[in-house]
Amino acid sequence: MEATAIHALLQSRFGDAVLDYVDSYEKGSLVAAGRVGEIATFLRDDATLGFESLMSLTGLDWDGYDATGKGKSVDILGYDELGRPETSDRVGDGDLGVAYALYSPRHGHKHTLFVRVPRAAPEVASVAAVWPTAEWHEREAWDLVGIRFAGHPDLRRILLDDAWEGHPLRKDYAMPGAWQGVPLDGRDYAAGKWTEADVTLPDDVKRPEDAKLPDTGNQG
Amino acid sequence: MSETATGRGWAEQDVRRELHSELLEINMGPQHPATHGVLRLLVRTDGEIVHGVTAHIGYLHRCAEKIAEGCDWRQWMVYTDRFDYLAPINMNFGYAVAVERMLGVQVPERAEHIRVICAELQRIASHLIAIGTFGLDMGAWTPLLYCFREREEILNILERLTGGRMLYNYFDIGGLRFDAYEGFERDVLDFVNIMEQKIPEYDTLLSYNKIFIERTADVGVIDVATCRAYGCTGPVLRGAGVPFDCRKDDPYSIYDRFEFDIPYGEGEQGTVGDCWDRYMVRMREMYESCRIIRQAVDALPGGPVKAEDLKKLVKVPQGSLYTRTESSKGEIGYHIFADGGSKPFRTKVRSPSFSNLHVIEKVGPGMMLSDLVATVGSLDIVLGEIDR
Repeated sequence: MEATAIHALLQSRFGDAVLDYVDSYEKGSLVAAGRVGEIATFLRDDATLGFESLMSLTGLDWDGYDATGKGKSVDILGYDELGRPETSDRVGDGDLGVAYALYSPRHGHKHTLFVRVPRAAPEVASVAAVWPTAEWHEREAWDLVGIRFAGHPDLRRILLDDAWEGHPLRKDYAMPGAWQGVPLDGRDYAAGKWTEADVTLPDDVKRPEDAKLPDTGNQG
Repeated sequence: MSETATGRGWAEQDVRRELHSELLEINMGPQHPATHGVLRLLVRTDGEIVHGVTAHIGYLHRCAEKIAEGCDWRQWMVYTDRFDYLAPINMNFGYAVAVERMLGVQVPERAEHIRVICAELQRIASHLIAIGTFGLDMGAWTPLLYCFREREEILNILERLTGGRMLYNYFDIGGLRFDAYEGFERDVLDFVNIMEQKIPEYDTLLSYNKIFIERTADVGVIDVATCRAYGCTGPVLRGAGVPFDCRKDDPYSIYDRFEFDIPYGEGEQGTVGDCWDRYMVRMREMYESCRIIRQAVDALPGGPVKAEDLKKLVKVPQGSLYTRTESSKGEIGYHIFADGGSKPFRTKVRSPSFSNLHVIEKVGPGMMLSDLVATVGSLDIVLGEIDR
């Protein structure tokens, strides 16, 4: 099915929840963040659509993307020549978002769903119940971009340490100068400015050991 | 097929109730030879029966996606090497195809052919490791040595070609960094001639070995519905009996010109989608790769290896595209968002092993502990690609 037809079908079914047709290199629909769950269920279960496969789920920070659109988006913060974290007084103000790349093995067509949420309240309905593969992808989007997925069974960090602060893929993320008291710049260490005593381990950190294992109901 | 022969059967046995003991949590990893890298599986067991698996990943995380936002489009190619360090060429290929599609660049014929030859050589090299280490997990030491013997030949060719032994950084946006050396075709054909004779050797050594079949057939069955739901691709999906391959079903580069078959699992030794099927798909794919290489070498034209109308500093017009290609592990996807500038705005890497590993949390419960090792081995995961 053509992407325009898929979009029209979604529009007739969900009305206001389908906001816009996205005509980029890939074709897709911009939909409302709160209703992604039901739209996803429909996309998967409808016989003419059959999007059984969620190829990829991307969390992203749109900050600076639409403002210029000419490649003038903000530079990310890194480290200066001396190895110290760069700082900036700029405050990120763009939306956050999620993109779902879908594929239908039965019909061979693709469609991409886009969602935008305000930076202040980045919450999107989870699709982990529709496509279980989204469970890990959503955890990754939470970990790296800081998008909350409502209804996710186990939303915790996946790639970074549980004690990590901030979400690195946000455009206004400042690189840390130290990790739990240990400076990331090796020169401080070499100059003797740092000792073991400086290490600070937060005690309220939820370690992976404490994470609850899924109950399989198989205990006899 | 007896009930107890399946991994799942044990947990449903009545005898379990009498033997029920307290659940024990044990760690597989982070440094365990059977986990293929720094993966930590937290396993909850009752005796030898697995009741729950939780995977803890991220030990190799480098946030390459953040690095991408600070590099220009060409510079990031070198980081794609570091995802799947057993098949870097396949990772390069995916990124190159993704950016070229967005730019609308026509890659010269010669470059396309050399790309395909390299990618298929790399696929064989990666599958050799998968097969060798899988044998190792099952207690078969010898096949690993044979597999590394052939892999060495591939590494030698790629070293002569690119200068690197493990990480090549050979592909470039719009073509290749430099042309192939003189005698490349002959080296490749020599290798393919040897390789095709070696595959039956592996079969007698490992594939149809009675002990190996006992350990892998009917074990760790992953069916089609589970594969679709959990996003499993590559040999895992094909092992479940679906002949889906991006090279054929979502064609890129010049794969549509070559004649090759897609092997898939048929449950020859047990159930469709068991460990043996996944293993055998890889074995047969090596043969198909040899076929593709022969055709590509035959058709290898002369000419340039770089798109000439491309600037040094490329700028991709605004927009987004998800592109997938077939790596040795499965579908490697790059979801790229460009803002019209000289750097990627956001690059999401959808790595095949990431989803292929996730399924272990679903199929793990109910297995014997030793079958869990077999299943993880048969998934052929690479942590560099999972953690990125």
